[in-house]
Amino acid sequence: MSTTFEFTSDNQKIFQTILKKYPKKRAAMLPTLHLAQHQQGYISPDVEEYVAELLEVPVVDVHEVITFYSLFSQKPMGKHHIRVCNSLACWIRGCDQVKEYLREKLGVEDGEISEDGDFSWESVPDCLGACEMAPMLQVDGYFEGNLTRDKIDEVIERKKRK
Amino acid sequence: MPIVKLVSEYFGNEEARNLKWRLEHGGYEGARKMFREMEPSKVTEEVILSNLRGLGGAGFPAGRKWSFVPQNTDKPKYLTVNADEAEPGTFKDRYILEWDPHRLIEGIIICCYAVGIHTAYIYIRGEYVRPFERMQGAIDEAYEAGILGEKTLGQDFKLDIFVHRGAGAYICGEETGLLESLEGKKGWPRLKPPFPALVGAFGCPTVINNVETISHLPNIMMKGGQWFADLGCERNGGSRLFALSGCVKNPGVYELPLGTPLRELIYEHGGGILGDRKLKGIIPGGTSAAVLSADEVDIPMEFESLARAKSMLGSGAVIVLDETVCMVKALHNIENFFAHESCGQCTPCREGTMWVYRILSRIVDGAGTPSDLETLKALAENMSGTSICALCEGAAMPLRSFLEKYPEEFEYYVTHKRSMVEDLQKDSVLV
Amino acid sequence: MPTLTINEQEVTVENGTTVIEAAEKLGIYIPRYCYHPGLSLAGSCRMCLVEIEKIPALQISCYTVAQEGMSVSTDSQRVKKARQAMLEFLLSNHPLDCPVCDQSGECDLQNFYMEFGRYDSRFLENKVKKKKAFPIGPHVMLDQERCILCTRCVRYTDEVSKSNELGVFNRGAHSVIDLHPGKTLDNHYSGNVIDICPVGALTEREFRFQCRVWYLETQDSICNGCSRGCNISLHFNTSRSHKAGGKRILRVKPRYNPDVNHWWICDYGRFGYEFIDQNRIESPYVKDSSGLQMADWETALEKTAQVIKDSLETSGPESVGVVVSPQLSNEDLQLAHELFVEELKLTNVAVENPWEAPGVEDDFLLKADRNPNRKGAKKIGFEGDAQTILEKVSSGKVKVLYLFWHNFDSKEALELLQNVEHLIFQGVNWHQTAEVAQIVLPGVTHAEKDGTFTNFEGRTQRFQQALLPIGDALSDSEIIVRLAEKVGHPLSVSLKEAAV
Repeated sequence: MSTTFEFTSDNQKIFQTILKKYPKKRAAMLPTLHLAQHQQGYISPDVEEYVAELLEVPVVDVHEVITFYSLFSQKPMGKHHIRVCNSLACWIRGCDQVKEYLREKLGVEDGEISEDGDFSWESVPDCLGACEMAPMLQVDGYFEGNLTRDKIDEVIERKKRK
Repeated sequence: MPIVKLVSEYFGNEEARNLKWRLEHGGYEGARKMFREMEPSKVTEEVILSNLRGLGGAGFPAGRKWSFVPQNTDKPKYLTVNADEAEPGTFKDRYILEWDPHRLIEGIIICCYAVGIHTAYIYIRGEYVRPFERMQGAIDEAYEAGILGEKTLGQDFKLDIFVHRGAGAYICGEETGLLESLEGKKGWPRLKPPFPALVGAFGCPTVINNVETISHLPNIMMKGGQWFADLGCERNGGSRLFALSGCVKNPGVYELPLGTPLRELIYEHGGGILGDRKLKGIIPGGTSAAVLSADEVDIPMEFESLARAKSMLGSGAVIVLDETVCMVKALHNIENFFAHESCGQCTPCREGTMWVYRILSRIVDGAGTPSDLETLKALAENMSGTSICALCEGAAMPLRSFLEKYPEEFEYYVTHKRSMVEDLQKDSVLV
Repeated sequence: MPTLTINEQEVTVENGTTVIEAAEKLGIYIPRYCYHPGLSLAGSCRMCLVEIEKIPALQISCYTVAQEGMSVSTDSQRVKKARQAMLEFLLSNHPLDCPVCDQSGECDLQNFYMEFGRYDSRFLENKVKKKKAFPIGPHVMLDQERCILCTRCVRYTDEVSKSNELGVFNRGAHSVIDLHPGKTLDNHYSGNVIDICPVGALTEREFRFQCRVWYLETQDSICNGCSRGCNISLHFNTSRSHKAGGKRILRVKPRYNPDVNHWWICDYGRFGYEFIDQNRIESPYVKDSSGLQMADWETALEKTAQVIKDSLETSGPESVGVVVSPQLSNEDLQLAHELFVEELKLTNVAVENPWEAPGVEDDFLLKADRNPNRKGAKKIGFEGDAQTILEKVSSGKVKVLYLFWHNFDSKEALELLQNVEHLIFQGVNWHQTAEVAQIVLPGVTHAEKDGTFTNFEGRTQRFQQALLPIGDALSDSEIIVRLAEKVGHPLSVSLKEAAV
């Protein structure tokens, strides 16, 4: 049950600095949505209404944006979100086995959240831009490459401790 | 040819991000020299002389692009630096953002001075979190030190640089898709004309250049356009970063003069094929480029030679494919990407990419027929020259070239319902 | 004024004219989906590709501006092949709904496909699945699978109705057009998206499965919903009365008029045609001790004439009141004026219903005056509201009230009407006031006669007869001419001229 969304007072200040960067309010759309997703973990309908009001745009335009871009999520994700690259170089170097191992280790399918809510993972067809360390994944935004089973174990342990 | 360390001079050097250290090692020298010695129009001339080409994919001469911006306009002008690096196989701009962000800032100062721009946006793809943090950190340092702001490098020239993070859409690397995304909309490319040089960001004249293109500018200012032109080959000035990946022993970023033979990049610098296996094919400039067969490996890596070979130098992303790679599955992987990234605005791309992907999926699952191959060829043709932007071409070119150069693998798959190299694929195992 | 050549024919056009518009001047129709002259350019369907000399790639003609000396081909092999390619792409994920789709027969996907091909499908895959057949508003049904993403409807809700309910969501082949979650397409102009949708993605709920479009006949008319006078086309079916439960008018579509309503019409006008077929008075009625009884015209008109003549004799012209209606045509009103004002010299004559609630008015098409011909009535000489007359009815000064169309259903009005000696009602639909009349005379709607309305700007516009009068109804003009004869004041117009 989501209550009406509002930026925290810190985020309000950040929003004001964001606005100053652009000659038109609408241009602040992406950074504002990033900020909102960072605060709440995902974009809910009341976030859309809130952002539409802040930027003085029709709310349907906000919905178009969040359904268009891959990084905005309309559902909550795990505490740590993992994205596995499936692009050509990573595929050549074994991303299928990475996915198999993650499925085994976390116990959930592509696109799902683990039982304890700690991890969610998805496999993405986009190249994440780290082909020199293929196969690789992105967790909480940061790249982990040259993956081996041990490396994947280590990453997951490290994240669990946080 | 030996490795060059111009734009990549400080890759791997943890100190280069630190402004103080960077200033002691040539930081902002090129820009300072420019302010001292050159009028803005002279800067553009020098860049035209250098034969610096667009290094994001299209290869358009950078100086000539700048010259399209009208000088006698009372609208503000903008620079958008394209750091949306998302062409599969490309990771070179990431290195600049992570290791030498001040070089990029210096390049931005040079470009803006030449064209008369006072606001620049760096559009960084949303997935690049660490590069964003490092870039923003360098910009903050630069403001603090008075390098940016009201008096750039102490000169009577105002310049603001803002970082604008993307949110996961390859199409936002397309010039006008980037502009739409900057303006807060979904990244649907615009109809051209008008071109961004006339009507770009917020309706104003805009220059859009790739990160690496801009990052070559400080050296060009220091050593001159002629020096840069001579470093490369005819019509292709200087050096560029190649992002090498795939079945090579030493994947990574290599800076080499334009015109370096592909063979040298793969075998001399890349260490050769994994397990010393046989080369089967090379993708020379990101997966939008037509694949080259193994016997084309001596091609000089410069824009015109690749164009003559009906491929492209593109983003400099070289993906090496050896004998264990199934070309049918490789194409399937590539077309999955395009179907996923098509923005959906225009008919041939929206419907074509999905159709091609579904045919290939069916073939890979063992349910393909010979007529599918005919259909695929026809689709490649129908997707060429009919769309709003080049993404559709980018999906059609690999399709056409894989079918043309590896017909036996496709025919084998539809006849035998499995890959011709199935037995060789036991190799790619997760350690 | 550049001169260009299209298919070897020369044409000179205004500066800024696009190739697609220039072609139309020559009578050449270039197929298109996303282009619509009333909306901004999208350039995304790629159907209007043409070959232009000296330009290597095919160009979209909706966006290319005509230049001096340009040489265009709209029917070369390359162009034909490209059209086939685009159609093939659009059909690849399009569901095979023709047998159950209302758009069949007026579908641009069908029409262009029949004209250009490709006729043998080579698509063997599973199609992309989207939401099928769900209502998005009181009048509009959406089928996302049929949608070809021309985005006309999205641009419409952005630029014309300015209500922003629709958007394009997701990316690539999963793109869908839909309402913003939680919204409804319930603005006053929602029906126009049905017209502009080239395929059966957006369809009219009222028309759903009612009748195949090739059974429809059409006739030019003018909307009677307000004083804007939007130009419309009535679509009706009279030859197959087993369809749609015998309804004659099946839908209303706007006609393009750049001076009045452009391409659009409001929902009240578009969906307000039910009164033409429903709840009609189909025969004259005369009240006796047991209520209203059907009568023939002779009897009804004789009685009416008698009542009027008697009252004039005993109590003079002030004792007969007439309230005409701004729903009547100029022709009807002309004759009414001749009879009641010029011939019978009546003084208690009015046209307005002061209790009629004004409708919504906006800065687009809707006018608060819910009648098409108030200006026309005024020009002919009819003014004033009915309140004074009804008060005189109540006080007994007015003994006979001849009332056209109006429904005085307010408490106040009904009280005033209570003691009327003779109420003669001439109109088309049954309502409260009609039911308390002593004599009821059935007139016709604008769909059942020729005539003109004068809109709020003073623009007089013609509407043409689409249907025969229902039942035994007669045109109001004819009724007045006949009545005039019976009261001894024949009019200048012959019966033949007045009849439909």
